[in-house]
Amino acid sequence: MVNALGRGAEEIWPRLLDGDQSRFRLRDDFVPGRSLLVGEVSGRLPAVPGRLSRYACRNNAMTLAALEQILERVEAAIRAAGRERVGVVMGTSTSGVGDAEEAIRERRRTGALAADFDYAQLEFGGAAAFVSEYLDLGGPAYTISTACSSGARALASARSLLELGVCDAVVAGATDTLCGLTTNGFSALQAISDEITNPCSANRKGLTLGEGSVIFLVTRQGGGIQLRGVGESSEAHHMSAPDPEGRGAERAMRAALADAEMAPEAIAYLNLHGTGTPLNDAMECAAIARVFPRPPACSSTKSLVGHTLGAAGAMEAGFCWLVLRAGSADGLSPIPHAYDGRRDPALPALPLVDKGLRVPAGAVMSNSFGFGGNNCTLILAAAG
Amino acid sequence: MIRAEPGRWSAWSPGLEEPGAWQRWCAAPAPLALEGQPDGAFLPALLRRRCGPLARAMLATAFGCGDEGELARAATVFASRHGNINESIGLLERLAEGQALSPTRFSHTVHNAQAGLFSIAAGNREASSSVAARESTFGCAWLEALTLLARDPGRPVLLVMADAPLDPIFAVQVDEPGGFYSLALMLSPADGGAGLGFSVGRSRDAGPRRAWPDALEFLRWYLSGEPRLELEAGRQLFVWER
Repeated sequence: MVNALGRGAEEIWPRLLDGDQSRFRLRDDFVPGRSLLVGEVSGRLPAVPGRLSRYACRNNAMTLAALEQILERVEAAIRAAGRERVGVVMGTSTSGVGDAEEAIRERRRTGALAADFDYAQLEFGGAAAFVSEYLDLGGPAYTISTACSSGARALASARSLLELGVCDAVVAGATDTLCGLTTNGFSALQAISDEITNPCSANRKGLTLGEGSVIFLVTRQGGGIQLRGVGESSEAHHMSAPDPEGRGAERAMRAALADAEMAPEAIAYLNLHGTGTPLNDAMECAAIARVFPRPPACSSTKSLVGHTLGAAGAMEAGFCWLVLRAGSADGLSPIPHAYDGRRDPALPALPLVDKGLRVPAGAVMSNSFGFGGNNCTLILAAAG
Repeated sequence: MIRAEPGRWSAWSPGLEEPGAWQRWCAAPAPLALEGQPDGAFLPALLRRRCGPLARAMLATAFGCGDEGELARAATVFASRHGNINESIGLLERLAEGQALSPTRFSHTVHNAQAGLFSIAAGNREASSSVAARESTFGCAWLEALTLLARDPGRPVLLVMADAPLDPIFAVQVDEPGGFYSLALMLSPADGGAGLGFSVGRSRDAGPRRAWPDALEFLRWYLSGEPRLELEAGRQLFVWER
């Protein structure tokens, strides 16, 4: 896992628990005339090996930074299953569009694309093909790109590939990188806050963009932390705004509970989609209040790492995984809800997580809602 | 692996609109046209304006696969190697010129834009995935459709695969069959030996350069009655069997 809070679970987990908002940076080179606060991954990324130079973009280097953290376990799984039985499902909404921007600027200056730019960096399918070729895998490898639910869907499909018997292990996750297209696009939509995003606050004015990558090794092995429920829905409403009643979000959460064969009371912590836009938080809180007679502890982690768009669903499933890993039969420490503390009285009063809160042990839920009206809710739980 | 039965199918390419025309094309294929768009009369006026040629092609074939009720209740997989990337490239050109982006155009560049437009047009509130996998896109989209059949076995999956010619800036880097097309299939789970079996493995080599897009190679095979189709697509070997 890599994001604005750091690299690797050991570095990121304590900063999540601490509600650390200190790592956002101002960038004035994305949107003309605007200084933009972003959750950026700082420092150098690993080099894409020369044999895969056609994939050498920042998005794939970010994937590699996450993959390297679990490479030993992935290679052990490949040895056990055989290369032909290991698949790849990656989520992304940007792929290497940031590098394509530079290539196109170069083309305007010189009349030719930058020599090191290859279309494999830009096309969505390149995100999964890169991982598969890097690991020399023979199983199916594809990218899911459903905007901000891409990462959640990638994990759902990984589980299904195991259930179908197509694969014995799946390397699944998601990566998105900050770029001119998304920063200017969301800025044009007037969806970006000037301050760090303030989910569920009366003062919320939009989202803060982020970037990062998270990679899971998904197997049939019992024990450990399990993906227990997947709930999916489409909005049939609008291309870039959710149904104000949150009916699509409600259907996704109910479907995930049904898939996990769990009652709402089984959920101990809910990681909100929580983008900090006025409409998302209103419809999501309303939907939660309908699904849960007694809502669980809730927080948005987008005020800690930003909205990582196509990576967010897998990233926040990763945060849920960390909550479960640190938990025990005695209880869980959910991630605090970092905001200005000015709760919006117009929203149903959800139990937003204060720093240091402990809750009884249980399952955890993560919501992801995307452009095009694509919703995906995941439920994770510790085995046993 | 579960088997899937294609029910209704619908294909479109400029000048190839009716099933009869596709039967003839499949028997004696000829190069596909690069430009055009299907009649949008089936779409409400507001949505028609939002749908560029690729979206119109994907929605027209999707709407050819079922009645109103069937279209509203299917899960969907929308697959495309390039998707709306030509539109994204247009926005990147604007950025390079220092111009502002249109928020509507931006929100329609997501890979699942066609899936979202279909959901609105058909009133479909079910699970929906959007896939891309370079040369292997059609076979992987079939596999993704099987994952949705497995997650919700009672629900058919509408699989739509389409591509329009890639912007010439990048087309020089991509060796693929030309043409603008869309194919949609309504897949249901099949019991016993019915329907089509499917398997995926590693390709033996890159495979021969194909004359036609994989989705249309599949349609030719499906209409031919032959027992088995092997498609070597990029690093993957996909096999369909009756």
